[in-house]
Amino acid sequence: MKKNNIRFLIVEDDEMIRIIHKDFLEELFPDCKIFEAANAAQGICLYFECRPHLILLDMMMPLMGGETFLDILEEGHRTKILKEKPKIVIVTAIKDVKELMEIGKRFSVEAVISKPLVQSQLKALLEDWIS
Amino acid sequence: MDNVQYTQMTDYNTSPVFDMDKALNRVHGKQELLARVISIFKKNLQEKKQSIASELTAENWDNLKMISHSLKGSAWTIGAQRLGEIAYAMEKASATEDISSFKHLLTILEESIDDINTYFEHHNY
Repeated sequence: MKKNNIRFLIVEDDEMIRIIHKDFLEELFPDCKIFEAANAAQGICLYFECRPHLILLDMMMPLMGGETFLDILEEGHRTKILKEKPKIVIVTAIKDVKELMEIGKRFSVEAVISKPLVQSQLKALLEDWIS
Repeated sequence: MDNVQYTQMTDYNTSPVFDMDKALNRVHGKQELLARVISIFKKNLQEKKQSIASELTAENWDNLKMISHSLKGSAWTIGAQRLGEIAYAMEKASATEDISSFKHLLTILEESIDDINTYFEHHNY
């Protein structure tokens, strides 16, 4: 993935956390484009509209949660409707280890990071993926 | 006779009301950004408090769990450690539908919200 024109999608219901994620990404990648969704339904619409390279996804959100978002994208890949496979990083306040492990095993998930987000962890991942 | 041992406000006193260093670190030392996120946090806190009260009346445990979970995440993100821990206990009480513990925790939460609002006022946020 190239630094220039990289597209991020933030799917997170908490406006405050979206702002903090956005500021963090803009600091790291000043030329990036960032799209924001407040729930998974909006996230899916934006996904098809902006085709992000990387997605920061919250799991527990009102109306439609992260699990449904993953279900839809995985179904898209299974049926070959979706060609690209964006890197999805789950950022969640879920503390149950079993639940976190189940999420981490999913086909579409690259990494699971606990809230509050340790920005150095995410930075290390992104720098590994994006040159 | 009621032998249930509830947590008390004093059980949460070891956690800071607000960890300013953590909050500033989160926003890379940008004071304007911190003021903006605190303003959103305060607004959301009031909305969540009201939502908890109405969902509790309806005993809607799924929503109570969701709101507590969301409050925990945002509180810990911004450095409101004590509120985050109380919200975490509320999330667990919602999962087991423990109404007496939840109501007790709600009174502690309300007290803690007053404390953090006082902190923000003293620091001109």
